[in-house]
Amino acid sequence: MALLRLPDGAPRTPAIVISLLVVALAVVVAVAAPWLGLPDPDAMEAIPYQPPNARHWFGTDNFGRDVLSRIVWGTRLALIVAVVSSLASSILGIVLGSISGYFGGWVDGVMSRTFDVFLLIPTFFLVLLIVALFGQGLQYTMIAIALTTWPRSARIMRSQVLSLKSRVYVQSSRAAGASHPWVLTRHVVPNGLAPIVTDGTILMGFAILTEAGLSFLGLGDQNAVSWGRMIFEGQRQLRIAPWLSIFPGLALLLLVAALNLLGDGLNQAMNPQLRRQSIRARGKPPVDLGPPKAEDAGAPILDVRGLKMEYRLPKGAIRAVDGVDFTLPRGGSLGVVGESGCGKSSLGAALLQVMAPNAVYTAGDVSVAGRPILKDGQVVRAGSRDAVMDIRWTRVSIIFQSAMNALNPVLTVRQQLMEAYRLHRPAEDEAAAVARIEALFDLIGIPHRRMTAYPHELSGGMRQRVMIALSLLHEPDLVIADEPTTALDVLIQDQILGEIDALRRRLGLGLILISHDMGAVAETCDRVAVMYAGEIVEIAPTSVIFGDPRHPYTRALMGALPTVTGPKRPLETLAGEPFTPTGDIVGCRFAPRCAMATDRCRAEAPAPVAVAADHLARCHYARDDARIPA
Amino acid sequence: MRLRRYVLLRILQLVPVTLVVIVLNFLLIHLAPGDISIILAGETPDPAYLQHVREMYGLDRPFLEQLWRYLVQVGSGDLGMSFRSRQPVFDEIIDRIPATLLLVGTAMGLSVVVGTWIGARIARRPGSAVDSLVSAGAVMLFSVPVFWFGLMLILLFSVQVPILPAMGMSSLDGPREGIGRVLDVAHHLVLPVLSLMTVSVGQYIRIARTSVAEVMGESYITTVRAIGFPDRRIVQHYALRNALLPVVTVLGLQLGLILTGAVLTETVFSWPGLGRLIYEAILARDTPVIMGAFIAMSVTVAIASLATDLVYAALDPRVTL
Ligand code: SF4
Repeated sequence: MALLRLPDGAPRTPAIVISLLVVALAVVVAVAAPWLGLPDPDAMEAIPYQPPNARHWFGTDNFGRDVLSRIVWGTRLALIVAVVSSLASSILGIVLGSISGYFGGWVDGVMSRTFDVFLLIPTFFLVLLIVALFGQGLQYTMIAIALTTWPRSARIMRSQVLSLKSRVYVQSSRAAGASHPWVLTRHVVPNGLAPIVTDGTILMGFAILTEAGLSFLGLGDQNAVSWGRMIFEGQRQLRIAPWLSIFPGLALLLLVAALNLLGDGLNQAMNPQLRRQSIRARGKPPVDLGPPKAEDAGAPILDVRGLKMEYRLPKGAIRAVDGVDFTLPRGGSLGVVGESGCGKSSLGAALLQVMAPNAVYTAGDVSVAGRPILKDGQVVRAGSRDAVMDIRWTRVSIIFQSAMNALNPVLTVRQQLMEAYRLHRPAEDEAAAVARIEALFDLIGIPHRRMTAYPHELSGGMRQRVMIALSLLHEPDLVIADEPTTALDVLIQDQILGEIDALRRRLGLGLILISHDMGAVAETCDRVAVMYAGEIVEIAPTSVIFGDPRHPYTRALMGALPTVTGPKRPLETLAGEPFTPTGDIVGCRFAPRCAMATDRCRAEAPAPVAVAADHLARCHYARDDARIPA
Repeated sequence: MRLRRYVLLRILQLVPVTLVVIVLNFLLIHLAPGDISIILAGETPDPAYLQHVREMYGLDRPFLEQLWRYLVQVGSGDLGMSFRSRQPVFDEIIDRIPATLLLVGTAMGLSVVVGTWIGARIARRPGSAVDSLVSAGAVMLFSVPVFWFGLMLILLFSVQVPILPAMGMSSLDGPREGIGRVLDVAHHLVLPVLSLMTVSVGQYIRIARTSVAEVMGESYITTVRAIGFPDRRIVQHYALRNALLPVVTVLGLQLGLILTGAVLTETVFSWPGLGRLIYEAILARDTPVIMGAFIAMSVTVAIASLATDLVYAALDPRVTL
């Protein structure tokens, strides 16, 4: 079991526990078979064809042998086949896979081709042939299974070795003069064993089924009690004594399923990615506010009050957006800046309700043009339809970070734009859609012929332009641009930002520009919100943020701006670790990194302080000019 | 042009597999206990036939020359003679392919459709109770011994409630042509297909579930959600389309297992296909047929894996050849 040391926090799921119990039971039964006080499995003593009864729980067969006893003894054979053939297969695979990975070069080339070839040979037909030529014997079955399955562990081992080989300790022991075989056995093999053991449990199930199938064809070992052979013999009596077939089959199913479930469970436990996928958080129930009321022309395009959204993780919740308030007038533009992980991208996704499945709202109201889409942390519905569906893309659209991933790789640009267009305007025909797309392409500067390209065939800048065209497809009132230029090189970055700005002014669009780059925001937005640890720590008109920042964090961000004398430093160079909002938080979230933190800061969380009518800062000393050294 | 080169290159890769299989076959015959000519010709009282077989395989020639002869012979499609029927093994196999193709094709087609549908459905709520239950059920499904499951189906639907035939491909007194014939065969097809489906349907449920769940986490799915596509349509239209690629891959890799299942299923239901041929050959110790079947199955699996790669390349525009 030491080899199977599960990673910390690996789930002991019911499936794993039950399967372990079943396998353990099988092992105990197989070992203890002679001492269980059962009749001799080969003794033809009882009355034949007895259905299950108190003396013979599983009945007796046509020769008067006890079925239960035969099943118990059959466990032995099943386990022997399972263990021996998967051991032989794994050892062969480990040796050959290690050699292939360790030596690399042409050795690896030739050997991995060989793995591929052997994997293609269908096991069962080779077993049939071997048994037909050599006669019936367990050893041949096991050899054939090992001979066709070893490339599985060889492949695993090879990739393990390849990845471990480069690690320092292997190389240093090579430098210290250790020989090849020693390095392999001492360092590389033990590290690669875990996945092979996992695969081995699945292999065991496969081996048991293969042996059973062979015995069912009458080609099993004649001298041993095998479940497959019992079914083979039972099928002729299927009509008069069905129990002869039912019970051995159930035993087979139980043991093989336990092995498969075990291998599967271990696989998931060792693969955290698979585990993370399975977390799905349940938030507050939706609330039905009845049919949407008429739009209020005077209302701001976006109003956000006390918005809280958290990610549920096995270790606890991270409050990525933790009480955010702001209002965006029609045609207004807001920059949201902060380090990565401050919650700014989560905020963007939360506004349109497109977060990851493990994210939930815990509080807050959001309304678009006066119509609520989130109320008290509850998704607003009308009938069976979420209110957000009425604003997605027709009122509010998003430009996502990396257009490479945000566009579907297996559809052409044209297909994607077309489908998005016709989703909201099902009545219009294809020509109207094409006309609209071409008009947008002209507006943004994409050649029409690029329409038939797949995303991967476009340059980074072109892809981002397609994403912008997509976002403008239905003439929205507000575009949320989440780091629209991060993945691009500097020259293109400026171009794209300039284009977004020009479009915004021309079309009278509202814009929320999410960025880690203060400079980008300065050029494009009327107002700036600085986020830290899920909160807006300062919000003010752009000129005020740059001219008179009051929060120490905002000032630190300014320090990272390019100056006339020095080169541009990225935000990430700020000293100290960003704060992760989780658990109970006491005091100011920025205190651990703040140069002017006091005891008060560490004890009491600051509320937003109104520095001026349009300027809020979440710092105890925001108004206290004397205390903040410039 | 590049496509043609790629296809050609991949076809060339079939050569090593075929070579390995043939050589393995040859070595096994020579390693096996007993007289090779008897293995190849059977216990026959006919000395002329024995002599004919000896000459055909060049059994009195040096070892390497025999190997060469064997390679050339098998390479040209000659898989030897069945000593039960005195027919070329190749023809025997070809004769049986339609029945097996009907069984395997139907079972695989239904498995893909049903499995993918179920998998995609549970992927919409990963981690839910339904998901855990169905996922565990899928593992159980591919742990079921096909032949036993076939027997249980017979017990239920032919013995307890006799509504479905348990044997053969058509009724003895059934219609020989037209729609009646089709219905008769379909009637006989139900139980074998159901039992063979257990081999693969569980796999498809799991593959579809995993890959749909994975695709659902991709950014481009977030994009279509933001655009306003309803969830149901996203799963059916987008996630499934992208998730079909892994399903296609498994289709090729699974063929070996499915053919194994087919042999066992055909044995249980006396389905007159390849599996039945192999079973009869085993009973009669007709070694050339078993050898021929081994070679044929290996090559089929290799071709299926090749076809999988090609289909994959055709479906995924990112694969540049
Ligand atoms: S409240 Fe204190 S610790 Fe927080 S930012 Fe202001 S001065 Fe720094």
